[in-house]
Amino acid sequence: MSLQTCYEALGGSYDAVRQRLPSDRMVQKFVLKFLNEGSYDDLVRAIEAKDAETAFRAAHTIKGVCLNLSFDKLHDSSDALCEALRHGWTDEAPKLLEPVREDYERTIAAIRAFAAETGA
Amino acid sequence: MNRRKKILIADDSEMNREILAEILGEEYEIIEAENGAEAVAVLQSNRAEIDMLLLDYVMPEMDGFQVLELMNRQRWIEDIPVIMISAESSMTYVEQAYELGVVDFIKRPFEALVVQRRVANTMLLYAKQKKLTDMIIEQIYENEKQSSLMINILSHIVEFRNGESGQHVLHIHMLTELMLKHLITITDKYPLNNADIALITTASALHDVGKISIPAEVINKPGRFTPEEFAIMKTHSAIGAEMLRQLPAEYAEEPLVKTAYEICRWHHERYDGRGYPDGLKGDEIPISAQIVALADVYDALTSERVYKKAFSHEVAVDMILDGQCGTFNPLLMQCLRDIAPTLQQKLKNATEESRTESRIEAISMEVMRRSELSVSSHPMRMLERERLKYGFYRTVAGELWFDYSRAPSMLTLSPYGASLLGLDEVIVNPGQNEQLRSHIDEDTLQGLVRALRSCTRDNPAVEYDCLLNLDGGEHEVRVLLRTVWSDDEEPRYVGVIGKVIDRAEEDSGSEMPDWMNTHDLQTGLYNRHAAEVRIHEHIEMNPHGSFGLALVRIENYAVLNESYGGEFGGRLLRYVAERLRLGARGGDILAQAGDDSFLVFFEYRRSALHVAEWILTSLEGFYEDIPLAVKVGMAYTNAGEPANYAVLLATAERTLEGMDTAEQLCCVHVENTEGEDDK
Repeated sequence: MSLQTCYEALGGSYDAVRQRLPSDRMVQKFVLKFLNEGSYDDLVRAIEAKDAETAFRAAHTIKGVCLNLSFDKLHDSSDALCEALRHGWTDEAPKLLEPVREDYERTIAAIRAFAAETGA
Repeated sequence: MNRRKKILIADDSEMNREILAEILGEEYEIIEAENGAEAVAVLQSNRAEIDMLLLDYVMPEMDGFQVLELMNRQRWIEDIPVIMISAESSMTYVEQAYELGVVDFIKRPFEALVVQRRVANTMLLYAKQKKLTDMIIEQIYENEKQSSLMINILSHIVEFRNGESGQHVLHIHMLTELMLKHLITITDKYPLNNADIALITTASALHDVGKISIPAEVINKPGRFTPEEFAIMKTHSAIGAEMLRQLPAEYAEEPLVKTAYEICRWHHERYDGRGYPDGLKGDEIPISAQIVALADVYDALTSERVYKKAFSHEVAVDMILDGQCGTFNPLLMQCLRDIAPTLQQKLKNATEESRTESRIEAISMEVMRRSELSVSSHPMRMLERERLKYGFYRTVAGELWFDYSRAPSMLTLSPYGASLLGLDEVIVNPGQNEQLRSHIDEDTLQGLVRALRSCTRDNPAVEYDCLLNLDGGEHEVRVLLRTVWSDDEEPRYVGVIGKVIDRAEEDSGSEMPDWMNTHDLQTGLYNRHAAEVRIHEHIEMNPHGSFGLALVRIENYAVLNESYGGEFGGRLLRYVAERLRLGARGGDILAQAGDDSFLVFFEYRRSALHVAEWILTSLEGFYEDIPLAVKVGMAYTNAGEPANYAVLLATAERTLEGMDTAEQLCCVHVENTEGEDDK
């Protein structure tokens, strides 16, 4: 599995990220690092606790990382959640978390598959 | 200077920090901060080493804008370029970021190349500005040195021919400078800035240039001139001026040449109109020429000439003030009278070198002060830090406080002290400050220096009794000095803080104990022991009064101190102390009770609870964007009940300890041993 295929699987744009970051090596490094990004867990916990501020920050961080890595699908869903939480708690939030969960799991699955194949 | 430049990256996402570190790590040294507060802590302790800040917007603790606001307030933003990097794309954010002084705004997702280029360009820009500042200073230094040199050569040629010693030009120079500097402190009649003073002082060297055209046999004639010879001699002022006027147009318009013209032509005019060549009167004579004229007379009197012996300094001053040597502007007479006591010593000390150096230094400082040039050199940053650190002391009203930092050499006086001495609150290079030196004679100064030398880091405080010139008269004072040392392994002496106490006032009061032993040096409040003594005295005077003793504790002080850096803790304590001091009434006794706690002892009229509530209210709000949390535990007695300090204190301590986390205030009446909760 190439990075390109991985990006297709997670709903991202490989061409876009390669234009911005200078090497495949760097893209790969950060794609793999995404497995250890803790913000998603923070987000889930904060939504459960109805802690709007922490949830906003976590969603914002996910959105920012996704922008940098061109994980477009996850970016779009986390961005929607982030904007909903910008001015405090909304009961929409748990509903909006669902697509984020879906996209996040899909992203993680694609990266894991890629990692397993490359032996990284 | 070739160290790798350091970039501080403040972002709460580790991924984001790492991506930036990866992109920039080859070229720069990277320091990371997880949130705004951490970034501020790094800036606080290592500001001088940080070359740039890459700042995220959304962060816990403090967000990017709060960091920027603080950087503005502390004026760090002037020295450290900030690039904001954010996924926020709305123009309001971008606009506000620029308003708050960021150099650049990079939106996510960013291109690695663009980040590298923008960072490099900003670094270059700031480095260029720094270099430019250095170059300007260097240029001024060079120019100043060159023109001083040329003027001195020229005036020495004239003097040599006159058979005068080389000292004459030097003395005129010194005297002119001293007089001018003093003049602007006693009147604003003559609008002279430092540049004008430098110009007049430099031009003064040319005052006798016209003598080059007077025949040698006249100039060097021993004994008195005949009327004819005197008439020839008198032409030198007009001739000198004419020589300057006939310079090619491009030079004749120079401020230096114009000033020299005034001095040459009119330095033999007299205030009453009886001088030559034009018979000008009063302030028709430019102030430059008036001052040089007086300096010329003084130096002529105190120098040996072929036809006369030298008068002593005292006699010369008396003769001038007495009007025996012509009429002068009364303001200038006052100047001479004021500076006379220290004049002789200063003239003796004057050497060519030190004079040039000190003026160059002054001009460099002037350039550094100009706001359009960013103050970016390390010593000046240190200076700023010192200013903040001791800002507190300057606000202590009614006391002559000072603090002195060694490098850069700077003295800061409390506002009261500054007005008492008629000096600026901040004096750069105090050793060279004439006005300051007029308050303290050489022996006293040497004594102070000896006293300071006896200090060590472990034994930092010393007292010195001496005479100081305060408020227009000699006063016996006691100077309390506490030296400040660096934290290095080999402690270096970095400065002094101190206080001047008038012994006369001290004696008339009950007793002024050693200030350093009775006060907390950080906050200036009483220490616990001193407070105890005073509280005992207070209770003794009125054993059955209604008293209250409150202990005020800053919550999480240790944690705050830890996370915002050591200086923060000190500032916070001083802030709280200042708030308490502002709210305290006359008889209240305030003290530093512990590392994070304060003691307030008071006598109340109606309700002890009101006082406790006042304490809480006065400490509500934020300090440097951090919400201030305090707890107050109080013990009180009612009127008619016996009061005891130890019991009050112990009860207040127990009360404070026993409060649960949500409680802010708890008051306990001590008469009842069980404690009756009034809350």
